[in-house]
Amino acid sequence: MIRTDWLPSHAAPRPVAVVRLNRADKKNAMTPAMLDDLCSALTTASQKAAAVVLAGAGSTFCSGFDLSLCKDDSRALADLLTGLSSVIRLMRDVRAPIVAAAHGAAIAGGCALLAGADIVVTHAECKFGYPVVRLGISPAVNAPFLAQAIGHGPTRDKLLGGQIFSGSEAFRLGLAHTLSPTAEQVPELASTFAAQLAAKPACGLIATKNWLNELDGAAAQAKPALQASLNLVGSPEERHRLQALWS
Amino acid sequence: MHLATLTFAPPLATLALNRPESRNALSIDLLRAMHDRTGELAARIKSAGDIHIVILTGTGKAFCAGMDLKQVLDVPGAPLTLLSLLSEFTLKLRALPAVTIAVVNGAAIGGGCGLATVCDLAITHADSKMGFPEVDLGVCPAVVAPWLARKVGPGRARSILLRGGLMSGRDAAAAGLVDHVVETREELDPAASALAAKLATGGPGALRATKSLLNDLDGSLDATLARRAAELSAGVLAMPEAQAMLRAKLS
Repeated sequence: MIRTDWLPSHAAPRPVAVVRLNRADKKNAMTPAMLDDLCSALTTASQKAAAVVLAGAGSTFCSGFDLSLCKDDSRALADLLTGLSSVIRLMRDVRAPIVAAAHGAAIAGGCALLAGADIVVTHAECKFGYPVVRLGISPAVNAPFLAQAIGHGPTRDKLLGGQIFSGSEAFRLGLAHTLSPTAEQVPELASTFAAQLAAKPACGLIATKNWLNELDGAAAQAKPALQASLNLVGSPEERHRLQALWS
Repeated sequence: MHLATLTFAPPLATLALNRPESRNALSIDLLRAMHDRTGELAARIKSAGDIHIVILTGTGKAFCAGMDLKQVLDVPGAPLTLLSLLSEFTLKLRALPAVTIAVVNGAAIGGGCGLATVCDLAITHADSKMGFPEVDLGVCPAVVAPWLARKVGPGRARSILLRGGLMSGRDAAAAGLVDHVVETREELDPAASALAAKLATGGPGALRATKSLLNDLDGSLDATLARRAAELSAGVLAMPEAQAMLRAKLS
């Protein structure tokens, strides 16, 4: 459910890797196995490629966790939260810069992935948001990374409010950095940026990414943030609200 | 001729990079001159108490073209000296007990653009060129990164620094790199004077106290971080890949 393509570059010795969430029939809803595979794919991509694009197959970047797995099994939710946290931390840790191509929708866990990317490309009509507190799930796992992207004030608004917002607003807030004219052009523009990054000398790029990681300190807060989300897993509120989705 | 000039028109002082024939590129001598002038400025603020607003700008067409690459490549030990002087200067500029305004009159590149982000406010015109092309040359903008992150937030700083390149003054305003933008170069000086005059209506004690608190809140005056940034940047500059890129750029 993860697919990697390699785009050779005429300007750089190493290619660009395009890592895709590849479960289009489910709007790329994430399973624990998919998140494990994503970790492996990003690790391999970063070793072989000079820059990585993270994209989604089909009409949507990512609709979040596959909650059908969590209906009767709260361990699945714990695995999903833990896997999401690992992917986001890994996106920072790998040496290759990561450009996320968010088209269609990036919801909940899908939106959380974006805060781990170095550069985010989207389009004005793309849908963003963290509509999970109403399910009794805490999006705290993403808070340190989102706060670095958009500031602590807007982070409270988006995580506690859970409202869906547009690509235009994501751009205005700083969660996205470039707006493509159409949804269809988002992956292409992200690949162009990645190719430009791949053409730059590796020494400066790697040192700069590492230094930015150290300066923003989000990774150091990742563990307590994950724990805050895990603490609610299996609670009566979460069980009741999740199961109500299917009643 | 002085490589940095300081003029007083209380309550305003103007500090200018003054090496127009090299687009005010940051050489060791220029940075020493900036340190000296800024020391004089701090002393004047302390003794006379009549300066509340400071404009930082460049003489001639450019604001500042960034590091003097020729000096960096030709003089052994120069990179660390230069980057340390730059990093220490950013602290000295940030610590001034007066509101600082970067008037970005033309190109502000790399470390030059960094100086604009150290000031409390920045204004430019729509066609100026600003940005951080360090990664394009295989080097690491470590000294300016914390300042850019404080100015535009860590997320936007990440995108700007990793993508490299330059942007127009208009785009710099959209990214939050500058706070005000006017359409043309001709409009810049009157707009900067108006901005300075407006700021000067604030109570001097309130301005000083507010700036001081903001410096505490965002960790601006962290000397350890500033020193490590200079060492990191100098270390990357010394790498063969970076040296080759810089020599190719200069030839």
